[in-house]
Amino acid sequence: MMKVRTRGPDETRGLGLRIGKLLNAGDIVGLYGELGAGKTTITKGIAQAFGIGERDIVSASFTLIAEYPTNPPFVHIDLYRINTDEELDHIGLGEVIGGQNIAVIEWAEKAAQWLPDDMIRITLKTLSEDEREITVKGLHEKDRHRR
Amino acid sequence: MLILGIDTSCDDTSASVVADGAVVLSNIISNQTEIHRKYGGIVPELASRRHIEMIWPVVDEALTTAGIHLEDLDGIAVCKGPGLIGSLLIGCSFAKAVCYAKTKPLIAVNHLEGHIFSAFLEEPGPEFPFLALIASGGHTSLYKIEGFSRYEELGRTRDDAAGEAYDKVSKLLGLGYPGGPVIDRLAKEGNPKSIDFPRAYLPESFDFSFSGLKTAVMNYVKQQSGIRDQAAEKTGDQSGYFSSMLHSLSLSDIAASFQASVVDVLVRKTEWAIKKKWIKKIVLSGGVAANSELRRRMKEMAEERGVELFIPSLLLCTDNAAMIATAGYHHLKAGNIAGLDLNPQAYLPL
Repeated sequence: MMKVRTRGPDETRGLGLRIGKLLNAGDIVGLYGELGAGKTTITKGIAQAFGIGERDIVSASFTLIAEYPTNPPFVHIDLYRINTDEELDHIGLGEVIGGQNIAVIEWAEKAAQWLPDDMIRITLKTLSEDEREITVKGLHEKDRHRR
Repeated sequence: MLILGIDTSCDDTSASVVADGAVVLSNIISNQTEIHRKYGGIVPELASRRHIEMIWPVVDEALTTAGIHLEDLDGIAVCKGPGLIGSLLIGCSFAKAVCYAKTKPLIAVNHLEGHIFSAFLEEPGPEFPFLALIASGGHTSLYKIEGFSRYEELGRTRDDAAGEAYDKVSKLLGLGYPGGPVIDRLAKEGNPKSIDFPRAYLPESFDFSFSGLKTAVMNYVKQQSGIRDQAAEKTGDQSGYFSSMLHSLSLSDIAASFQASVVDVLVRKTEWAIKKKWIKKIVLSGGVAANSELRRRMKEMAEERGVELFIPSLLLCTDNAAMIATAGYHHLKAGNIAGLDLNPQAYLPL
């Protein structure tokens, strides 16, 4: 487990980039935290490790799933509007996580039953207006090698 | 030339017949807001299932109202994205099947392009070049439109769309879905200067950002409810007096101040684009264009600057298939026909 404090979105994004560089194809990253905690911001950083521009990651609350044709493929999922397990099935969550895909899931608690135990969990806590406490679990427990 | 347009990008199933890219013969929208309201947002599962149920009846209605048959069509234009992938698939599969069965040309249209072209369904339409601000629940983008298929994106949101900010703030204030109309209504009774919410102008860029505003509103509400709970505790008030009093007092002020922040940014950025790009025509479209304060402020700014402002009627601002048919007409004229291997895309910048 790793616990980090960030000051401002730039630092949160920077942490995301560092995490992104440690990911391997097939990894699933769950993001937990209230509205405005920085979930989309850290996703921008993680995606940057796969060559996706900062402007190309936006809130996915509307489209729910945004797929990027990177190598490995990057999928940004936002479950903000999901209310039932049945809906997860209908949006095709099972088809976009796992395999070779790198999946980053905002509001991952809404898909708790769908997600494997050995996934990476990032919890973002709002300490003050621009301070966040970010806890990363599952990143070092796995046998991972640097990309 | 008769084009059938189909849009299933979000919560509404819509079909429309448009003649020569300008005359709307029918524009049918299955309004699903009633179904969605109780779920606090657009429920995709529900939306997808409803699209399957609604697409034939809606298309039938569009053809009947227009007084034509499938055989009379010159082409079928369908929205290929951006939007909810499950919903888009239904529209695209339907359009492909009908085109294959009736040997009609299939035309793929970007939803954002549709919003821009909705301006041509009104009289008089804008002449090229013009600026287009599309603000809705899923998008907030500013374009320079030089001609058909000649679009320059000047800026877009880096996080939340303007309409999304309305929906999220509405949900956190306990006002339900959709957030636009209810906040617009409440804001009329509030003081827009009561709370100084941030405005992300992002200098040197035409991009937008509404995520920080959403967070600021949430922090404000948290802080206020903390004060309220303390007051209730100190006085030993059990009746909920403080809670109801502070609630009704501040809700309209929060709504007005939040709305002022959104509208300020949208109007200022558009004004800045007018100055920088030397363009004297603006099209405002997308669901947020229904907002009364945005319309009022945009008109005021346009008058001050001597700029022509085009805001399509409400039905054409929000998601509809007439705009898809209109853009489709121009594609067909230019010979842009899609293959039957067309696949929709959830993420699809113009």
